Amino acid sequence: MSDSADQVVDQVLDCTGLQCPLPVIKTSQAIKTIEVGQILELLATDPGVEPDMNAWTRRTGNELVSINQDAGVFHVLIRRAR
Amino acid sequence: MWTGEGEAKVLYVQTHGVSDPGRSATPFFLAASAAAMDAEVMIYFTMYGPTLLQKDVIDKIGPKGDVGQPLRYFIEQATGLGVRLLVCQPSLDLNDLSIDDLIEGTTMIGGAAFNDLAIQADAVISF
Repeated sequence: MSDSADQVVDQVLDCTGLQCPLPVIKTSQAIKTIEVGQILELLATDPGVEPDMNAWTRRTGNELVSINQDAGVFHVLIRRAR
Repeated sequence: MWTGEGEAKVLYVQTHGVSDPGRSATPFFLAASAAAMDAEVMIYFTMYGPTLLQKDVIDKIGPKGDVGQPLRYFIEQATGLGVRLLVCQPSLDLNDLSIDDLIEGTTMIGGAAFNDLAIQADAVISF
């Protein structure tokens, strides 16, 4: 996975402080508002976000570009693929 | 009743009711998550389950009783993502309810329809 610093982000979704399942639900809604090929950055503090986003991208066919944790916040980059 | 429009079909079964609020919200949570994963999702309320869908209850209790988010929040989170809610007549009788006591959009089915949904589903998850 590439570092998030070198990726152009088209939209940021701030889910810090929100618990399961809200980051998943809000991600599923946000991904529909960007174009295929664009990148959504999800910010989340829910400790389940890494396994959840692995499962969610695999199921929905979107691309998990990277997950990095910085100061307790997960930065998840997702490319809309369909 | 499955349309086949989702990537998978998941059927939840909720048997617990208002007397056990701690068990009320999780099926809605998980159903909402499944819908967010592009699955087609239904929740079947049987035994005490239909008591959770009463119009005059959903604003009064939540999983932590009368503190925190009420049931309406969890229900609307799920239905807003397309989750469908099902009940059957015998479990309404069990709780002395009629379909008119329940929130709009609740669908009445019978035992054959439930079993047909279960047979066709990719997963059936019971609480």
